[in-house]
Amino acid sequence: MTTAPVRPPLVRSSDRVIAGVCAGLANHLGWPVRMVRIGMVVAALAGGAGVAFYAWLWIMVPTADESARRNARRPASPIAPAVSAPGFSGALGVPGTPADPGTPGTPGTLDAPGSPTPGSWWSKVPGMPFGKEILLGAGLLLAAGILIARLLGVDVPLGTLIPVAAILGGAAIAWMQLDETRRAGLVDRTKADQAGGWARLAAGLALVVAGVLVMVSGSGSWEQTWLALLASVAVLGGVALVLLPWGLKFWRDLETERAGRVRATERAEIAAHLHDSVLQTLALIQRRAGNEHDVIRLARAQERELRGWLYRDADKEAGQLSESIKAAAAEVEDALGHAVEVVSVGDCVMTQRHEALVQAAREAMLNAARHGGSAVSVYLEVTDAAAEVFVKDRGPGFDPDSVPPDRLGVRESIIGRMNRHGGTAAIISSPGGTEVRLRLPVAAASAGNAAAAANNANGEAKP
Amino acid sequence: MDDHAIFRSGLKADLDPDIVVAGEAGTVEDAIAVIAAQRPDVVLLDVHLPGGRGGGGREVLAGSAPLLATTRFLALSVSDAAEDVVSVIRAGARGYVTKTISGAEISRAVRRVAGGDAVFSPRLAGFVLDAFGTAPADIADDELDKLSARELEVMRLIARGYSYKEVAKELFISIKTVETHVSAVLRKLQLSSRHELTRWAAERRLL
Repeated sequence: MTTAPVRPPLVRSSDRVIAGVCAGLANHLGWPVRMVRIGMVVAALAGGAGVAFYAWLWIMVPTADESARRNARRPASPIAPAVSAPGFSGALGVPGTPADPGTPGTPGTLDAPGSPTPGSWWSKVPGMPFGKEILLGAGLLLAAGILIARLLGVDVPLGTLIPVAAILGGAAIAWMQLDETRRAGLVDRTKADQAGGWARLAAGLALVVAGVLVMVSGSGSWEQTWLALLASVAVLGGVALVLLPWGLKFWRDLETERAGRVRATERAEIAAHLHDSVLQTLALIQRRAGNEHDVIRLARAQERELRGWLYRDADKEAGQLSESIKAAAAEVEDALGHAVEVVSVGDCVMTQRHEALVQAAREAMLNAARHGGSAVSVYLEVTDAAAEVFVKDRGPGFDPDSVPPDRLGVRESIIGRMNRHGGTAAIISSPGGTEVRLRLPVAAASAGNAAAAANNANGEAKP
Repeated sequence: MDDHAIFRSGLKADLDPDIVVAGEAGTVEDAIAVIAAQRPDVVLLDVHLPGGRGGGGREVLAGSAPLLATTRFLALSVSDAAEDVVSVIRAGARGYVTKTISGAEISRAVRRVAGGDAVFSPRLAGFVLDAFGTAPADIADDELDKLSARELEVMRLIARGYSYKEVAKELFISIKTVETHVSAVLRKLQLSSRHELTRWAAERRLL
């Protein structure tokens, strides 16, 4: 497994026939998949070598997801863009949308585009990375040697070798646990994992016991064997009785220590976050204490970022409409310094049409913050029938009909855009404030309709 | 009732001069004692109050339960997480405002609560709509379980950032009627054990 640095790592591909071994191997070696598969089949026909090789790779090579999870480093702390760049002006990226710097430590996801990226935990690479592979390879070589020796007519004492192999195999299976648990880290210990662990332990135990039994019974009568078995069980029981309290205490200590470590990690994560965000912002605020506008803007941006971090919904996946609206609101808030309060009810996954809704809403927010000159309220409601966005400010208001035709902001970016995508937009303005109402029905306009409407920019192109 | 002395003094300075501050407290125990001794009309209650058994504002509300008829509680917090907001409302608070609110607004909110009405911020209205769903009630439904069409309209407008006055103007009803609707919604939020509300709360680990 010495790989040239340019090669993609050896992982089982998600593009699989059986277990993704061939595809992964082909990707790793840079050979065509078809060749590798044919080669594997040919090898399998040649005395089963291919099957053994395949099985070995299947066991030893992690899937792309596993590999990614294992290699994943902690993601960089979510730093509010507003606080990380001291010299910026109004032009700010939307947090989350710009090309993410990405996690360079996850090369394993190359061939699995849709694979979920890693949690924030990463476990240590075990001390001897290839120990297992070497052991298994040696075992297989040994087996091959024995088979060849038998073919050549040498008398091999199979009667003792098979039980020994069984014992060794069972022990190996049981010992593999150790590595597994370490690799699993602290949070990945799901129930399924534990069930697998127990099954493995039972299998290992059964193999070892069977091996021992066969070996012992080969040399004596069954009565003797039973007696010996009984005696050993009794001894084992006695030992267990003596060691149990000690073992339990040890286990408890381990649990306590583990809990402590989890807490310490959490604390470290919080400290890192606060350092990267709040402390930086506070430092910035001190430096710019004279500029009230800057201070308010920084405080707002930091508050938003911290809120997002504290109250984030872990289950909520990205790419939801409410997230996009909030991101747009954050952008406007950073750019113009007026608070933009977003309240959302219901949610849905973003589509291309929702993108238009977000753009229109963003334009409305910009206008509201620019001309309203005060806090902006944004309300998003997603129902089965439609997605609606209301943007309200308390500015002096304006007459939508009196806007000169060359001003594209309202007419084109809001009304025109909504109409093109099968939605509606209304602007209600009074001296007490202005409200922009955007509505995008779920019943989608057909693609052709939308395209035709796109040409008719200013018209009432509603399907 | 807030554990940050600086915030308390700032708040006192911000409140309208005709609102008399009867007492202050920084912990759950102090708060319950002060409220019992002073019997104020309105208690401004921080959601995350230290002390007690860690229940914060909710615990103060529970400890002052016999006084709920005469003393009104207005919850005040930097947090606008659903669990904080809805749990204090269900514990008996008559309203909820965030700490970034201005002095004039908070004075108005205090007066409104003192008058027996509910104070809904846009975010709280959003939570209500989220919890009760946005479909109006059928006649057959248990009245506690769903919002009427009118109540929904009022909630929507509040969520959109309308003041009570603007809501009244928009719906061609009096401010008094708006307040009645809002109080009804508050009562439903506090009393309803509706299946969906329970599920919504459970999803957010509120109960």
